[in-house]
Amino acid sequence: MHSTWSRRCNACGYEQQYEGAWRCAMQQRTQEVGAEAHRDAVIDVHELVKRYGDVPAVRGVSFHVSRGEIFGLLGPNGAGKTTTMEMIEGLRIPDGGRAIVAGHDTKTALHRVKAVIGVQLQSTSLFDLLTVREITELYASFYANPVPILPLLESMILTDKLDSRVKSLSGGQKQRLAIALALVNDPLVVFLDEPTTGLDPQARRTLWDIVLRLKERGKTIILSTHYMDEAHVLCDRICLMDKGTIIALDTPDQLIARLEADRAVVFRVSEQLRGEEDKFVAFREACAQMEGVQTVSVHGDVFSLYTSNVQRSLIDVIQCTERCGIVVDQLSTRSATLEDVFIRMTGRSLREQ
Amino acid sequence: MRAYWKLTQAQLILFARNRTVIFFSLVFPILLMMALGTFLGGGGDVRLKGVVIDQDGTVDSREAVAKLTALRSAGLTVASDETQARDALKRGDLQLVVMIPKSFEEQLRIGKAKVHVLYDEKSQTVSQIGVQLIEGVVDALSKERTGYAPVVGVEASPVQSLGLKYIDFLVPGIVAMMIMSSNLNGVAGQIASWRERGVLRRMQSTTLRARTFIAAQITARLILNGSQALIVLLLGAFAFGTRVSGSWALVVMYVILGTLVFMSIGFIIAGLAKTPESAGPIAGFVSFPLLFLGNVFFPISSMPELLQPVVKALPITHLAHAMREVMNVGATLGDLWLDTVWLIGWLIVAFVIASMTFKWE
Repeated sequence: MHSTWSRRCNACGYEQQYEGAWRCAMQQRTQEVGAEAHRDAVIDVHELVKRYGDVPAVRGVSFHVSRGEIFGLLGPNGAGKTTTMEMIEGLRIPDGGRAIVAGHDTKTALHRVKAVIGVQLQSTSLFDLLTVREITELYASFYANPVPILPLLESMILTDKLDSRVKSLSGGQKQRLAIALALVNDPLVVFLDEPTTGLDPQARRTLWDIVLRLKERGKTIILSTHYMDEAHVLCDRICLMDKGTIIALDTPDQLIARLEADRAVVFRVSEQLRGEEDKFVAFREACAQMEGVQTVSVHGDVFSLYTSNVQRSLIDVIQCTERCGIVVDQLSTRSATLEDVFIRMTGRSLREQ
Repeated sequence: MRAYWKLTQAQLILFARNRTVIFFSLVFPILLMMALGTFLGGGGDVRLKGVVIDQDGTVDSREAVAKLTALRSAGLTVASDETQARDALKRGDLQLVVMIPKSFEEQLRIGKAKVHVLYDEKSQTVSQIGVQLIEGVVDALSKERTGYAPVVGVEASPVQSLGLKYIDFLVPGIVAMMIMSSNLNGVAGQIASWRERGVLRRMQSTTLRARTFIAAQITARLILNGSQALIVLLLGAFAFGTRVSGSWALVVMYVILGTLVFMSIGFIIAGLAKTPESAGPIAGFVSFPLLFLGNVFFPISSMPELLQPVVKALPITHLAHAMREVMNVGATLGDLWLDTVWLIGWLIVAFVIASMTFKWE
């Protein structure tokens, strides 16, 4: 076990540091991320950096992914999720740092890495004029030991589409085919880059089931998404990214618990208030001072108060607005979500640019 | 190895299922050949250029010269220097040199006069027609002299001329054109669109080697172009009676060489094009002038003097010329070394540029 650890655990530091410090480093990391240690890490990413020209896309990202885990990269468009994934897949060469997959460095043993990963790219379109069977056989031929394709396509609910051309498939079927192609080599790690973007709710649920079944079969899955509900349902751990950096990495529940506020009070103030700068700022201050309120986030005329005491906060809001003559509208309360975590961390919403 | 066969097979399936590919790579060239072959098959479009040299300088010889030069379709002009004319003929600047020898007038009196016609055997296409035209003039002249009144007349209904026809010139040109356009447009368009749509990146994320992918592309395109050429050649043979006089092995060799040259140029265009939408127009922009300048429909001799050096450097010119010589005259590799060297040169240059400009994404 000791040797396994010292070979794989590259993200903690340099090799020579392990001997004395490995136990300590591991414990620290375990506490830090609240998950199983990276004793079983199949992916080990250390200080990855990527620039496109002068624009930094990923600025120093490090994490581990354990075997059998669904690891989510959550963030808005442009957060660097895809670039990070593509560097681990070996499709992009990092400007700095390293990525190790199943013990193979993507810089020096890329071919070995490719043999143990399966990739579904965000914007891949497949050969439209081939049938499902033909394209699966084609991709199977790229690998030394492919799985039998009929059971594979059956598990992706594509059996009755075997002889249909890719062109004629629905969006959900195309995504399932893309996942089937990512599995033809029976990979250790599967990369799914925004697999449900653009799908209708029904198709999304089907895909979620498929992802969870992959986990049951022991696959390690790296999934990127900008849907917080999806991340919450599917992921064992979530890496929250923004502007090329990791802003939080933990289990979904722990991330929300970090808000120290399990509920949010949400309401809209009148347009007129937005015009009166002083009054607006004063009201915002007042909200932040309220009992139990941890954070106030304001988006346009929508206020969200994250609170550990919903009842108290509701009363305070109503009293305060009445006193100041502020008209509130669409007042509601709800549970805090990953979206709230993101807003709290960045001051911006996931859906915005 | 399995990946190589599967990719080749997949690419051939893609060709077969893509109507645009089938139309532009097969139906269009065949229609073009049929149309041009039928309308221009009479050889009327072949441009002749020759000189008449009068070495006798008598009344009779001058009359013969006048009759020959009056024949507009033979394109004869009067010249005096025999050596110069022979050189021009060898260079291919002239197709015919007609000589009226000394003592033409004397011989004519005793009914033994001869007119010498020199022609370039290699450009038989054109020369043969010229020789026939001159024979006609001379025949008329001798009938006139002997006061011969024909009792049986021929009513000529020109459907197709008798000698080597325009179609013989055209069919090898069409084969060359198909190879050029199917590779230029096909490779450029397909690769650019695969790159844009992420198809290449997806394959790049598997253990597929780039060399396997490229080898399969080449194989599939060779099979496509080979069958295209075969279909056109067979159709030419059945519909117009054209034939391959030279070795089939040489025809195959030039199909392969042509495919590789134009595939490489197609890859360059795919590399230069920023979007798949721009790849098509760029390929068209390159291939369109080549069609008209490059010895496909018209002999290079009909090109303006100024363009000649450019035209003679184009790969399509050499491909069409080599095809034509093999098919019409039965030329051997030894006869065609210059064309072959040009094509190999183009292949090397284009391949180097292609591998420098190629991007997977």
